[in-house]
Amino acid sequence: MEKINYIGEHLLPGQLGHFFSVLAFVASLVATVAYYCSVRAKDEPAKESWRKMGRWSFYVQAISIFAVFALLYYIISNHLFEYKYAWQHSSRDLETKYLFACFWEGQEGSFLLWSVWQSVLGLILANTSKKWEAPVMTFIAFSQVMMGSMLLGIYIGDHRIGSNPFLLMRQDSPESPVFQNPNYLQFKQFIDGNGLNELLKNYWMVIHPPVLFLGFASVLVPFAYAMAGLWTRKYGEWIKAALPWALFSAMMLGTGIMMGAAWAYESLTFGGYWAWDPVENASLVPWLTLVAGVHTLLAYRHSGHALRSTFFFFIISYTLVLYSSFLTKSGILGQTSVHSFTDMGMSGQLLISMAVFAIPGFWMLIRRNKDIPKIHKEESTYSREFWLFVGALILMVSAIQITFSTSIPVWNKLLDLFGLKKLFNLDDFATPGDVTFHYNQVQIWLASILGLLTAVVQYLKYKDTPKNTVLKKLAWPTLIALGITVLIGWVGRINYIEYGAGFLVAIYLMLFASVYAVVANFGYIFTGLKGKMKSAGASVAHIGFGLVLLGVLISSSKKQVLSVDSMGMLTGYFTKESGQNSRENVMLPKGLPVQMGPYFVTYKGDSVGTADKDKTFFIMEYEKKDRLEDAATERFTLYPDAYLNVRGQEGITPNPDSKHYLTRDIFTYITAVPRKDVVTDSLPYTPHTIKQGDTIFFSKGFIVLTGLKTQPVTKNYHAEPGDIAVGAELYVHTRENGDFNLQPVYFIRDSSFQGNVPDTLAPLSLAVKFTKILPNENKVELEIKESREPMDYVVLKALVFPYINVLWIGILTMMAGFVMSIIQRIRR
Amino acid sequence: MKKTSIILLVVIAACVAGMVMLVGDFSTYETFATAKKKEGKEIKVIGALDKSKEVIYDPVTDANYFSFYMKDKSGEVTKVVFNGTRPTDFEKSTELVLTGKMKGSEFHCTQILMKCPSKYKDQQTANSVAENI
Repeated sequence: MEKINYIGEHLLPGQLGHFFSVLAFVASLVATVAYYCSVRAKDEPAKESWRKMGRWSFYVQAISIFAVFALLYYIISNHLFEYKYAWQHSSRDLETKYLFACFWEGQEGSFLLWSVWQSVLGLILANTSKKWEAPVMTFIAFSQVMMGSMLLGIYIGDHRIGSNPFLLMRQDSPESPVFQNPNYLQFKQFIDGNGLNELLKNYWMVIHPPVLFLGFASVLVPFAYAMAGLWTRKYGEWIKAALPWALFSAMMLGTGIMMGAAWAYESLTFGGYWAWDPVENASLVPWLTLVAGVHTLLAYRHSGHALRSTFFFFIISYTLVLYSSFLTKSGILGQTSVHSFTDMGMSGQLLISMAVFAIPGFWMLIRRNKDIPKIHKEESTYSREFWLFVGALILMVSAIQITFSTSIPVWNKLLDLFGLKKLFNLDDFATPGDVTFHYNQVQIWLASILGLLTAVVQYLKYKDTPKNTVLKKLAWPTLIALGITVLIGWVGRINYIEYGAGFLVAIYLMLFASVYAVVANFGYIFTGLKGKMKSAGASVAHIGFGLVLLGVLISSSKKQVLSVDSMGMLTGYFTKESGQNSRENVMLPKGLPVQMGPYFVTYKGDSVGTADKDKTFFIMEYEKKDRLEDAATERFTLYPDAYLNVRGQEGITPNPDSKHYLTRDIFTYITAVPRKDVVTDSLPYTPHTIKQGDTIFFSKGFIVLTGLKTQPVTKNYHAEPGDIAVGAELYVHTRENGDFNLQPVYFIRDSSFQGNVPDTLAPLSLAVKFTKILPNENKVELEIKESREPMDYVVLKALVFPYINVLWIGILTMMAGFVMSIIQRIRR
Repeated sequence: MKKTSIILLVVIAACVAGMVMLVGDFSTYETFATAKKKEGKEIKVIGALDKSKEVIYDPVTDANYFSFYMKDKSGEVTKVVFNGTRPTDFEKSTELVLTGKMKGSEFHCTQILMKCPSKYKDQQTANSVAENI
């Protein structure tokens, strides 16, 4: 094939980028080997020279990764659409802040981000970990080898290793005839990129991934320390250095996860902050085990117990981070998750990168099990270390359940692989129908136990505690917590019986446990620590944890849908399904107030965003009043917005808007708008079956059936003897044209012929027929026709989340507690 | 035996028992034919939108009534009713995963999960459109 000289391509950044990704891979390989040799070398000078070589290779790899990052950003920000990554994820009209968002929208970008953080952490460790440098950095560098391999995009035989973010469009599909033309970049489809998914155009998308990936990356550090300890047989010595890192990691990962929750709550329309989606679960699980590890580590430091479980928890945490990366990036979750991740053909590679850490890790732990120092004397039931261990186990159980249910697609694959499915004639398992309850029914008990432990265990001393002092110190916090629980239960009327009495008991137990955790830890700062805030990090974090539990519990058990559509509500209202079949969308015609809970909501119109032309804002006016004609006691306007039919998409991508109060949030988002593409100019009569007092909306207002009248008198109906006639008395209200009365007539003549006389409102071109009486249902059928300009309306959902602020305050408190602990531990 | 060992054993036993119970919670993938036999039980059906039949969502009449016809993997076409709004880009979906139960001849679903053509496919169309230029 002859070589074509393409016009207008910028090949240098891509070539440099690919060069640096290969260099990073090779350098990290060298660093791994060098650090490995440094640990294995017998004499000091050899150790030292290997170590130096390892460190310099790591510098080279770090600089290369930074260069790759900068080059990819250069390509995206300069809109070089000859590159697939830029074409796929960005477009010219993006605001600068979203250029980063498209950077990590793709898998390659997110690996790169992860790799950058690991490089930063590696650079810090190489310069601060002193005698631990060589063994710890061996694992960090090795992790960079695996990370770097994800970005290689090199073929070995038919198998591709990694995915190169610097791939050109024409390299991606060389057979396409477009690329026969040397001037292909002038073609329409290469002038602009595919752009960022509308759902991701959000400031959270700019900050949430970096924090989350820093969290993921930092889990590597305690893992590396634990492995280094096992490897060099200095089983207990790594603890002191690893503790601040483990705390840092737990804090970052926790922040990252909760930022995701805040994002889901604030701008995605999942209707909440946590949906037990596989992607959320996969990131929560390593956090649980990591927190368990932090606690067993503390138990070991003060009592000598629980060293083996500390090893176990740090190894499993990093394994689970890699497992979560496998779950979310391999496409295996396809049918179970709302977050869509496409398979890039790297599942094998992701599995291998998990195996190369997990298998040696656990193998070493099992082999060295006998060598790991342990205390043969049993811990006392009144010791802190014993209960720390129990708490860690509960966290582990929680992690196991979440992993077990999240991994359903994996179980299916495994059953298939081992031929068990055929053997037992099994069907594929699917996620439970009621996912939330599936997790809640287990986690609520575990959370309660954790809350109770959080409250009590701080009052116990390491090794042994005199019994009566504990009881004495705990008496007040227990009583206060009980009092507050009863108060909340009574005032807040927590009465969530959708899942039966057993679950309500669990809710009250968790309510007490979380209040108890807050009160007892607050008390401990004064009675246990005598108010020394410097060492109160743990207590503060625990108060935060209690508040998180409390916030989660209250906001979800008291969540309320404002926009309940009462239409047809009586049918099936008292059946079992009415709870699930809730009709949560309400249609609001423009300009007409519609009652929702204590509010009358009016759709005032829409306007186009100033910064982003694709975005439409909907003006929703809320007025708090009992009846329509009353004066409003409170008035505010919400502006939920949506991207309408962008990029050939049919339908809308909405963003909610909320009114924040201290004690609750009113949360509104648009779920549908009129479709412009469906033409409705043919004019059939539309039937409506209604009863007295019901309302029918039409484009200019509404019609109310005020009553039925026998022997009606209207100008078009001429009564004959023997007629049975009924007139429907209709009151018509319009926004602009005033109020009217209509009276269509339905009659039966000669006891068999059914006829009707329509009534019309010429100025509104509205015609109403009275076509049927349904005596059994006590309803009538009216048919309405109007030559309408398409009716303007929106369909929306409105929810109330009470005390959601308790959750956010809890998270912030917990993070503050972590920071205090880290400072305290580094100072020591 | 040490206390911690006993606790460990208890926890392991509880986990195993718990998992066995949780499996009972797991749903299964059915076709409409098998779903009919389990009327009233919550199940999942995978299929594709039948584009030849009508898709109804008219908020002016009822903002919480969305109905369409889906062809399941065995080729059976059944009417599906969903109490909610019409999902974005519904007509473009290539695959649907419905959660719900059979009610007579209709399938009442509580959740619709759509698979849409990925961006990669968009790109292929970009390339193919270009042929005409």
